[in-house]
Amino acid sequence: MLRFYIALWAAKLFYFINKLIGRARDDRPGLLAFKICPDFLARIGKPKLMITITGTNGKTTTSALINSYLKEQGLRVSFNDWGANLHAGYCLNLMRCVNIFNKVTKMDASVLEADEKTLAHTMGMIKPHYVLVTNISKDSLRRNGHPEYIFDCVEKCFEKLGADTTAILNANDPISSELARNTGAKRVFYGMDDIGSNPFENMVKDIAVCPRCGGELKYNYRQYRHIGDYYCADCDFKTKDAKFYATKVDLKARTMDILEDGETTTYPLISETIFNAFNVLSAAAALRTMGYEKASLAEFFERQKVTEIRETCVKYKGKEFHTYGAKSQNVSAASTVFEYMAKEKSDKIVVLCMDEVQDKNHPTETLTWLYETDFEFLNSPNIKQIVVAGHMYLNHRLRLMLAGVDPNKIAACEDESKVADLVDFSQDFEKLYVLFEIDYVTKGRNWRDAIVEKAKEVM
Amino acid sequence: MKVVENLFPELCNIYGESYSVEYLSRCNGDIKLVQTNHKDVPAFVTEDVDMVYLGCSSERKQEQIIEILKPYKARIKELIDKGTIFLATGNAIEVFGKSIKDEDRVIEALGLFEFDSVRYMEAERHNSQYVGSFKADNGPITMLGHRSQFSFAYGDFENFPHWLDIEIGIGMNKETKREGIHYNNFFATYSLGPCLIMNPLFAKYLLRLMDIDDSLLFENEIMEAYEYRKHELRENLANS
Repeated sequence: MLRFYIALWAAKLFYFINKLIGRARDDRPGLLAFKICPDFLARIGKPKLMITITGTNGKTTTSALINSYLKEQGLRVSFNDWGANLHAGYCLNLMRCVNIFNKVTKMDASVLEADEKTLAHTMGMIKPHYVLVTNISKDSLRRNGHPEYIFDCVEKCFEKLGADTTAILNANDPISSELARNTGAKRVFYGMDDIGSNPFENMVKDIAVCPRCGGELKYNYRQYRHIGDYYCADCDFKTKDAKFYATKVDLKARTMDILEDGETTTYPLISETIFNAFNVLSAAAALRTMGYEKASLAEFFERQKVTEIRETCVKYKGKEFHTYGAKSQNVSAASTVFEYMAKEKSDKIVVLCMDEVQDKNHPTETLTWLYETDFEFLNSPNIKQIVVAGHMYLNHRLRLMLAGVDPNKIAACEDESKVADLVDFSQDFEKLYVLFEIDYVTKGRNWRDAIVEKAKEVM
Repeated sequence: MKVVENLFPELCNIYGESYSVEYLSRCNGDIKLVQTNHKDVPAFVTEDVDMVYLGCSSERKQEQIIEILKPYKARIKELIDKGTIFLATGNAIEVFGKSIKDEDRVIEALGLFEFDSVRYMEAERHNSQYVGSFKADNGPITMLGHRSQFSFAYGDFENFPHWLDIEIGIGMNKETKREGIHYNNFFATYSLGPCLIMNPLFAKYLLRLMDIDDSLLFENEIMEAYEYRKHELRENLANS
């Protein structure tokens, strides 16, 4: 116990100093607490409401929505919104909830965005009341291996939590909807009807066969990738019944009707994309499960929009110049963004800024993700030019050519500082998208700004 | 017509592996690519195909694949002995060893080659790349590989029909520079993903083994990317 208090006080002092120098989002105080006291998370006082949000895609947006809503309800919420989704971030998150005597006096709730790979050990100590899993999809092979491995990691978390938590799960995901089947947790599902999204077929599947019997996995419809209304041809595996069921989604009008216990409520959406519709649906399911009112939720969503770092836009001479987060080696996210580039009808130029920051520590960047990601989607008539710069430029060029893209549409060079020179402003385009790896927010904006400056010279 | 069989792509295409044989078939119109579902009898069982490819899978699926292939062990051995081309990548290499140990469990593999594998599922995933040399009949080929794995293979690799001598990186485990299997025309490596895209010279080698024109699709572009990556890997590792 003495060790715990030393850890708590040392971390609080470190945090206090960090706040004074404007570094409150530095999670090193949490790391210090963890190093001094490895079971710090088990011993720290817990607020009356704790929710963990995990999954391959959508957890940042969903966590932010839940955090903002709880704050608007007057709760004092500790939220690791700086992307610290590992043990140091959780230690800091919960440390902020207690005073120096480990009494929970400072916060009412903790919202924990959590890395899906490392959940079991940490969440076993934290024991969150709710665990929301957005989905499990293909991700970076180096970090996350494959979806089956991530499923096992998250399942171990539910095994540790047993009946002490409520699992909020995506009924339309044939992978994550199988979580917590036999752990004793209460399971609440959210799902979505066919909204006619007619997604493209992915080259590499997140799941190709039934997880129970290995039979062929079939779909009545899909919303995107492997998310949809599925069934096994050989056993009774199929989409679970959803307590929160989106019966109608109008992406253009940005509205979604959710049927809950026989009553339908219309909720506003935060963007025009199907994946953000799922983020709103999952946040609504979690907050409704916690007992919050439908009307206040609807009013709240009306005022929300996509986090700005993921998408920004400046205009020049009637053309839009966007930055758009794409998560390069996260194959599912990258393919989904490529599909959006094809389906969003405007004539556009696409600029790929997708070399991954972590790979700076590796002698060369892996190219496996290029052949799991559907570059074929970029072979679309509304995409007038594809520009790529950086040390992977030759691999991108080859991949785009193998995807059927006309070589005349591809402009590639090694020197990133020359990216603006590659853009063909004589093309008849309405929008230009710089698709950036999300660890490269600043670089993505710098590329876009350089392109806008070039546009001012030549247009 | 040359027949290339891609075994169980619904299970074994988790890192873009299938693109290797897709690419090969697009290089030469004389290649017929057969995609075999894991619920069907493989084509190689009833006919003499020219090449069989098995890619990387999840650990559960790897065990399933071993069970599927066990009844055909004698046939696989017969084909290997008579020179049919086999290519196995990623953890598919372990299917052809003697066993795979996973904590207290020992999974019996096909036992066609003398080595055992061990999974370390609780450890950090091993990620690295390699540059290795394949002593091909008509001169050495520099091979590039990317490994990302939970398991390693153990055996007497100094007296083993290994495929590559590793120049940079590790071999079958962290203690050896011997990588893969090469016996007659059977090739296997732990490298993941589209092996033939990463190694266009080996793609040409396979086309020649099949006795067909070895021109590659987008040959200039794929060779330029290969040479750049090879240089980058050597340079960066030398400076690290």
